[in-house]
Amino acid sequence: MNMNIKNSNSSWQSGMAKNITFIVTKDCQLACKYCYLVGKNEKERMSWEVAKQAIDYILDNEQDFREESVVWDFIGGEPFLEIDLIDKICDYLKSEMFRRDHHWFNSYRFSFSTNGINYDTEKVQNFIKKNRDHLSIGITIDGTEVKHDINRVYKGNDERGSYKDVVRNIPLWLQQFPNAGTKVTIASPDIPYIKESVLHLYSLGIKEVNINCVFEDVWEDGDDKKFEDQLMQLADAIIDGDYFRDHACSFFMEHIGKPMDPKRDNQNWCGAGRMLSIDAAGNFYPCTRFAQYSLRDKKAWMIGNINKGIDKNKLRPFFTLDRCTQSKQECIDCEVASGCAWCQGENYDAAESSTVYQRATAICKMHKARVRANNYYWNKLYRKLELEGIAKEEAEKQMKQSSNNINC
Amino acid sequence: MLQYLIIQLDDTSASYCHYSNDKKESRLISVESLKKGILFAMKENLMIQFVYPNFELSQEYKDAINTIDHSDIVPSDCEDEKLKDNADIIIFNNWKELESYKINENGIYVIRTYKSELFENHLSLNKFLPIAKRINVVITDIDSFDENDFEKYKEILSSLSKEIEKLYVEGKTPQLNLLTDRMMLDKMNNCNAGDENITLAPDGKFYVCPAFYLTDGNEDYGLGKSKFSIGDLENGLEVKNPQLYKLSYAPICRNCDAYQCKRCVYLNRKTTYELNTPGHEQCVVSHLERNESRELLANIRKHGIFFPDKEIKEISYLDPFDVRKEW
Repeated sequence: MNMNIKNSNSSWQSGMAKNITFIVTKDCQLACKYCYLVGKNEKERMSWEVAKQAIDYILDNEQDFREESVVWDFIGGEPFLEIDLIDKICDYLKSEMFRRDHHWFNSYRFSFSTNGINYDTEKVQNFIKKNRDHLSIGITIDGTEVKHDINRVYKGNDERGSYKDVVRNIPLWLQQFPNAGTKVTIASPDIPYIKESVLHLYSLGIKEVNINCVFEDVWEDGDDKKFEDQLMQLADAIIDGDYFRDHACSFFMEHIGKPMDPKRDNQNWCGAGRMLSIDAAGNFYPCTRFAQYSLRDKKAWMIGNINKGIDKNKLRPFFTLDRCTQSKQECIDCEVASGCAWCQGENYDAAESSTVYQRATAICKMHKARVRANNYYWNKLYRKLELEGIAKEEAEKQMKQSSNNINC
Repeated sequence: MLQYLIIQLDDTSASYCHYSNDKKESRLISVESLKKGILFAMKENLMIQFVYPNFELSQEYKDAINTIDHSDIVPSDCEDEKLKDNADIIIFNNWKELESYKINENGIYVIRTYKSELFENHLSLNKFLPIAKRINVVITDIDSFDENDFEKYKEILSSLSKEIEKLYVEGKTPQLNLLTDRMMLDKMNNCNAGDENITLAPDGKFYVCPAFYLTDGNEDYGLGKSKFSIGDLENGLEVKNPQLYKLSYAPICRNCDAYQCKRCVYLNRKTTYELNTPGHEQCVVSHLERNESRELLANIRKHGIFFPDKEIKEISYLDPFDVRKEW
């Protein structure tokens, strides 16, 4: 790792924490055009009784949740629409983990992914103050106003963009969470705005931009070329503008785009099954993407509920999934396979039969385009750093020489 | 590679496996579909197994069936005595019928049983083991086994194993699927529905196995209807994700050496949602059988040389899922 280059911050207790997600509401102020939540609605709001029963089940069965730490995740829709419920859930979690002397008491986080619209409300701010030391909040801002408002529009007929209502809360958010990163999503219409959007987010003070293409089959002919061009321009801007030293953009990662060994590199990409999601009806899912409101064509993959508990048989496919068993030969043999991501929920939704063992490959050409731009980025960056090093060495040599001259 | 075509002749044809057939109303496959099915098998080079209802078929059907070499799977209560006498496999759905049946030394018999009935009646197997060519015990509620059942099943296998050992010492070669199959096997020998065999149902459509046809049209174990076809006689086979029926695409099973396991895809679908993933209960039951087969092999060898090239290793687990990190 080069100390002159900023890397993305890894998530809290990455790999050691259990992610438990409360789908507190399926409602949202927005109707983002790329949103995979196809079944959003105003009716399915979690009740306190369901939330409490879920918590009691999880904490009662400590032996089945042996991960060192826990991330209590709250999503929607828009989670902060249910701030009263969330506040009550978090208070109960803290008191119960303490009362039970649960091994998670000193190792927990509350995590939120929000559209940021009501971030500055009194209730949300009070909640933040109360839980500040155990909190991660990500606000989604998609880039420039144009780019953001292409997709992130209010629900209703006028398709009004939400940029202005989000951007006004960014300074407060960064003041409270200076290292926070934002999540940017790219679908086909967004491609021309990638470069300016990332730079815009940097200009707002956001130092980490986690950006990815949607996994769904939305790509049009020529999108890969346009995408590659945008990433090349972004690479130039980041390198020439010296942003790489203290800003990160997840499109550029040093170790992607290499062949993968079918035996050594056979792990599954996705953490579905290792997580637990709970919806308003008290049903359990291996990840939120398997709840009915996330699925276009398939039935929800329920693994239990708050009354019967988790049916461990329903998790076995997730714990035994590996890369090669779910991939086509073309993917196994791919020369640029590393870093090519998949979403298990999208795989399931897009599969020809009801299985998680058929990898969706709609993202293939976009990954290949990303790899080409990524290779360009690192070749250019390392050459720049190399030349800087030579220049520095040269300067030091000259300094030494000139001081020697004086001494003489 | 496809090798067998199972033809379910009627909706009421006997179940010969883990699935149940609750259908009471007869619906015979049409003679036209039957003939087309036979033709399909001939062209694809498939061996046909006919699964019969308990009533006698008309001469027209018998004539069609006799146009090809085949096997007959027949329920023990079938009214066609001649068919029963010549059947390749006779199926029993209760222990009483088995008790009163005249067991033939060349016969292969399947007893379908709930675990509770097996726990109660297993000793009666001792009577038939020395006579029958082969007995297959099919437990129909494997998915409901709990820890107590596993313990009980282990005891029963041990008891049956002693009886088989005694028969071997007497020079007999009894075959009981639960214990003797594993001793002879060097690789997986599972049901392989969807890969090596498929089923033609009375509706003229192909299914992975009769279970996927016979299940109630509304049966839904969680991911949508369990009844789905994989093609028909007019358009041929159309299997979605066919690789999932192959051993090499079953992460738990390809790492397992309980070679005698049925590896029932229908049970997989029901318990784990995935056709290629067995539930805990199926794995443990198969491993209890595997381990007792190992004991049996060792005990028979105490009396003399017996399959010296076969080895069943000692293992520390009953569910390969528990050691998945070692794969």
